[in-house]
Amino acid sequence: MNDELFLDERIEVLATFGSGLNPCYPRKFKRANGRVVDVEEIGLRHPTTQGRRTVHVFDVTDGAADYRLEFDAERLTWRLTREGDRE
Amino acid sequence: MKLQTGYNPETPLVMHIDLNSCFATVEQQARVRLRNRPVAIVNRRTEHTMIVTASYEAKDMGVTLGMKLKDAKKICPDLVGVESDPAKYRYVYHKMLDIMNDYSAHVRMKSIDEGVIDFHEAPKAIRQRGMETIGMEIKGRLITEIGKAMRCNVGIATNRFLAKTAASLHKPDGLDIITAQNLRETLGGLELTKLTGIAHRNEARLNAVGIHTPLQFLDADAQMLRSMVFKSINGDQWHQRLRGWEVDDVDYDMKTAGRQFVLDGYNLPYEQILKRLHHLCEATGKKIRSQGKVARGVVVWATTHREQGAPRPEPGRGGWEVQRGSRYWHARHMSTAPFFSDQAIYSQAKQLFRNAPPLIRTIGVTVYELSDDVDPQLSLFGDELARERQIITAVDEINDRYGKNVIHSADTIGIGGSAVNEKIPFGSTRYL
Repeated sequence: MNDELFLDERIEVLATFGSGLNPCYPRKFKRANGRVVDVEEIGLRHPTTQGRRTVHVFDVTDGAADYRLEFDAERLTWRLTREGDRE
Repeated sequence: MKLQTGYNPETPLVMHIDLNSCFATVEQQARVRLRNRPVAIVNRRTEHTMIVTASYEAKDMGVTLGMKLKDAKKICPDLVGVESDPAKYRYVYHKMLDIMNDYSAHVRMKSIDEGVIDFHEAPKAIRQRGMETIGMEIKGRLITEIGKAMRCNVGIATNRFLAKTAASLHKPDGLDIITAQNLRETLGGLELTKLTGIAHRNEARLNAVGIHTPLQFLDADAQMLRSMVFKSINGDQWHQRLRGWEVDDVDYDMKTAGRQFVLDGYNLPYEQILKRLHHLCEATGKKIRSQGKVARGVVVWATTHREQGAPRPEPGRGGWEVQRGSRYWHARHMSTAPFFSDQAIYSQAKQLFRNAPPLIRTIGVTVYELSDDVDPQLSLFGDELARERQIITAVDEINDRYGKNVIHSADTIGIGGSAVNEKIPFGSTRYL
């Protein structure tokens, strides 16, 4: 299997909210260890539900690794839940 | 059925859209660093699991569906195994459906990764734009609205069968049109088993009467196909289908519902298997209730590992049990009264499962004889049934509100969360 790490890390995210098909764009995030990751590209954003609560999943990359960020639309919290393919 | 002898001469207005290697493509879209790499989608995070979908890069290296991940890595050492993520595929499915619905009110999704647009009753302004233009536009919209790694095949023809055939001609990013004019040329370049619906059994039937190529199949007489090959109206339908006349624009009622699970351990204790069976019964009950159905029959089935010392099956054709060295067991029960609760399904399944063989590999439960949940006949146990219905409705509502399996039987604690998680729903799109 691939070398994905499963995490549940609360993170601080700088995101822009604009118009268009993908109005929410996380630009950079700060991990618990203080490292700041600049988002180079969003691969896919898809909504999931936990009951009736919507959690938006962002698969992003900084060019060196892929990350999965989850934005809880009810609680307005961001979590880093996966990291994969680190060089 | 009135048989048309010639090829359908009308302008092709049926479009088949197929996201080939869909799950691998979606993963490559989501995870940028997987792009241009051989990727295999599997349902479990283990080397012993079978590949559900392979990316085109993996297919080019000889990786095929159904191959074990560890075997695939022998021929493709750089292969990346990725666990399936149904939520992503459902999202892409709905995006694709939204795009298709923009062009016609007659859209049918055939499965999670393919659908058909029938333009016969679409607005004239849309039809006048031309099918090829619309096909290219849909390809472009998949890229702009989902992502730049998304590719699809588009097939256009006068009926669903030929449109699907057209969509398979130039993978992974083709757009092909089959008309009455190029029908013979197109079919001439294919093998019989490349036609949807012609697998080894039908191929053998056709071979038996001297039909070895799609062109010979096309030229075959309807009478012969009906009376000698398919021995039913299927022969007439194939005669029409190959000529581009529509025979597949039909919706089928839901007849069965169920779930299956490949056990997560070799020779699991009977009690552990029962817990997993219980979870499958809960999932099956939820499925029929979500469609407003009740059932009257239950089938439980299992396949077993090959016993030690048993002779290996002969390679070649045959049933899948023979080919894969598995053995199949099943038992069924039909009730006089319809049922819909998880408990009713499980109590019958558990009873039937007592006769299950040892060394079980896969278990499954299916309910059948489904009907709409509107039985007007009064029951002697009306109060009891009404109470049961109220409890089940309340539990379903709580689970819908707070998440799957928030309330479930104590027996399945620890089972529903991860071990028997629902994976990719192939086939029916009812539950997407």
